[in-house]
Amino acid sequence: MLQGVNTITGTAPASDLDAQLMLRVKDGDEHSFTVLLEKHRNPVIHFVFRMVQDRAVAEEISQEVFLRVYKSRETYEPTARFTTWLFRIATHLALNWLRDGKKERGHQRLDAPAKSEKDGELPAREVSDRRPSVEQRMVYETKLQEVRTAIALLPEKQRAAVLMHKYEEMEYSQIANVLECSESAVKSLLFRAYETLRSRLAHMAIGEARS
Amino acid sequence: MNWPINQRMPNCPLKTDQTDLLLDDAAGTLARRGLDAATMAALSEHMETCPECLAFRAGQKMVWAALDLWEPGPVSQDFNRRLWQRIEAAAAAPWYTRLAESLRMTSWKPLIPLAAAMLVIAGGFLLDHPTTKKTSDVTIIEADQVEQTLDDIQLLRQLDVTTTQSTSQTNQTKM
Repeated sequence: MLQGVNTITGTAPASDLDAQLMLRVKDGDEHSFTVLLEKHRNPVIHFVFRMVQDRAVAEEISQEVFLRVYKSRETYEPTARFTTWLFRIATHLALNWLRDGKKERGHQRLDAPAKSEKDGELPAREVSDRRPSVEQRMVYETKLQEVRTAIALLPEKQRAAVLMHKYEEMEYSQIANVLECSESAVKSLLFRAYETLRSRLAHMAIGEARS
Repeated sequence: MNWPINQRMPNCPLKTDQTDLLLDDAAGTLARRGLDAATMAALSEHMETCPECLAFRAGQKMVWAALDLWEPGPVSQDFNRRLWQRIEAAAAAPWYTRLAESLRMTSWKPLIPLAAAMLVIAGGFLLDHPTTKKTSDVTIIEADQVEQTLDDIQLLRQLDVTTTQSTSQTNQTKM
């Protein structure tokens, strides 16, 4: 259960502009909340989406994250970096959703055909001057599905650690704060997670080497 | 080699619980760690010659490239509008609705073991203080009492009949 979202131990660095914005929100400045929302909305939604692998649920959970941030404004104390606090709430809610088995009711299931996240189009960097061929699209979708499945099969904490490490580029200490464990535990989580991913995705490297 | 970061070196980071160095190396974020020049040089020299570390680096870079395939895509355009609607609705809602809303996103699974433990304790208490035993005792006592009472009534009837007969005999004698 998520309790005491303002009780992360430690202190926020003075240079944490987000914490300063949140203190302004505490003083009643709603514009600062809009600034925080614009800045962190996409990273939070993307993180939650990769955790739960369901777009509608990811947005619902992310709305709850920002709603809780707003509701907690009056009791907010900058005891940790703002992003640590934010991702802690997001991780708690995503893990709660996964543990409650709500994923079974999800709209976009893992066994559903893997679509690229841009209405079925390949990511921009994979698209050259021409539209991708059907074969390229199929290869891409197969690989994407394998990546999603490999991530989804990781234990929840390992999954969260990998997503924060890889996509949010968080430091070990910050991931440790979010997951409420030691830094060495995070390093261990990450090592085991990447070991599993190397094993599960090894055939992709072999396939690329052959082609 | 000079390895100020760990006294057990010189050894492979894979064998000295310093795999995070290899992860950072593969991710290209080693510079963020603020290692001194000597350590960086020693690590890079090791990485060029150690077959295990080279294999680790290659495998990790493959994973990194695979994860890069997964782009999350766009967010709903009305996300902010919906959020502000929820904020306004939450502010206007009565206290019981706010409580229900805060409980809605809360996981109750951690409470399941607690509930199970309470059930076990309650079960143990009931076994230790069985109310059914008392009930059956009472039933047995009640049955005994009823039987006794019926016997008493029968005895009284017999006594009454005997008394009536003896009285009538006495009256006949007197007459």
